[in-house]
Amino acid sequence: MQARGAGPHALVGAYVMDAVTEAERTSFERHLLSCEQCREDVRGLREAAARLAEAEAIPPRPELREQTLQAAARTRQQPPLVVSQNRQLGAGRRWRNGPRWLQRPARVGARPWLARLALGAAVVLAITATVFGLHLSSMQGKLTAAEQRDTAIATVLGAHDVTTLTAKVTTGGTATVVMSHRARALVFIGNGLTRLPTSQAYELWLMSPAGATPVGMLPPARRGMSGPMVVNRLRPGEQLAMTVEPATGARRPTSSPVVLVFLGS
Amino acid sequence: MVPSQSVVSDEYRGVDMAGGDHAGGTPEDRPVSRPGQGGLELILAQVAKGDDAAFRVLYDQAAPAVLGIARSVLRDPAQSEEVMQEVLLEIWRMSARFDPSAGSASAWIMTVAHRRAVDRVRSEQRAAERELRAATASIAYDEVSDAAMTSLEHQRVRRCLDGLTDLQRESVTLAYYGGYSYREVAQLLGVAVGTVKTRMRDGLIRLRDCLGVE
Repeated sequence: MQARGAGPHALVGAYVMDAVTEAERTSFERHLLSCEQCREDVRGLREAAARLAEAEAIPPRPELREQTLQAAARTRQQPPLVVSQNRQLGAGRRWRNGPRWLQRPARVGARPWLARLALGAAVVLAITATVFGLHLSSMQGKLTAAEQRDTAIATVLGAHDVTTLTAKVTTGGTATVVMSHRARALVFIGNGLTRLPTSQAYELWLMSPAGATPVGMLPPARRGMSGPMVVNRLRPGEQLAMTVEPATGARRPTSSPVVLVFLGS
Repeated sequence: MVPSQSVVSDEYRGVDMAGGDHAGGTPEDRPVSRPGQGGLELILAQVAKGDDAAFRVLYDQAAPAVLGIARSVLRDPAQSEEVMQEVLLEIWRMSARFDPSAGSASAWIMTVAHRRAVDRVRSEQRAAERELRAATASIAYDEVSDAAMTSLEHQRVRRCLDGLTDLQRESVTLAYYGGYSYREVAQLLGVAVGTVKTRMRDGLIRLRDCLGVE
């Protein structure tokens, strides 16, 4: 681990305050990928920096409000991006105290609802492996969501160890997971999932012995298909689960999964 | 006292029921952009679904601080307003990508805001202007702080800034409020680049601890 006084880590304050060059930013973000302590520091220092901004709050001219709201009404929103960049940033720790079924690795047969899950057959396609190249962008905005997603999907599909898993969703429909262990990534697609009232939505989770990490909310289905959602940086032993949650999303699962996909290891 | 989460959601429901009415959702005595734990996160999650009532609430809570930091970095009122609107629109567009496990909604929004303001400074500022700014940089801290002098949050942050060493405080305020790079700060303060880097880090850490950031 990097000593805190020297090396790239000394740049953490300047980085958080945007006082670095573009090249330094890129190189620091590369360093962040391999330094959990740094990610945690960045998180905390960003909170502190935000307070500096809030301390200088000044009321905008009233007419700006309507202008901005109208501009928003004319602006299309980006779909959820489920590249798990943020899991990299020290996430997950918070979720350790989830419901009991999350505390230990799930074993088939250990719980009745597990036994009900039907896991589909695996299909293995052999294509050339590619290097997984999504880089962490602190703004999360340098590539469009679609570009990032397409890159990630292409990476998974291009991996020589690509595997397709299909599982029935207990409340209706199927879940298809196309994954590559080598790329440590998967693509999730829901088919014919039961429509939920607007107050609810499907939420995906990665489960590990340490607990459940939220992956993201599944967008409403289009023509029967929900997704695709891309999940990156899988760790060995993680399983994918989907639960029905309030539409605003939950920080930890509040109900039993409607599907659980064993990703193998 | 920090407003509880339920206070924030009640307020949100109130605005929602108002069904598209304009200003007046935000009581003036409530500290701007410091909702109860999780409040802004919930609102952001609603915004991500295209809920414009939620976006109104978000605007009322976040716009003042976004404008504040833009004004502090850019100085020019018209440009600051532009940046504020750009940032709020960016938050609207990207709200579905916000991940609460990576930090608070407020930190996310202010990160976007500060970055946008600094980018604007760096891309647009001519060399002559920069020199002029450098010449007047020493007054940046006091001048900027006048704008929001009366808020409790301002006083709290100011108190914590006062607890920093002079070099830490100057490094942090020139970088954050002034939008200077650490190399520029080193030059302005006449100290080594490496020193400024560590003062920025140590200053922010001390600030974080003083403010009791989680």
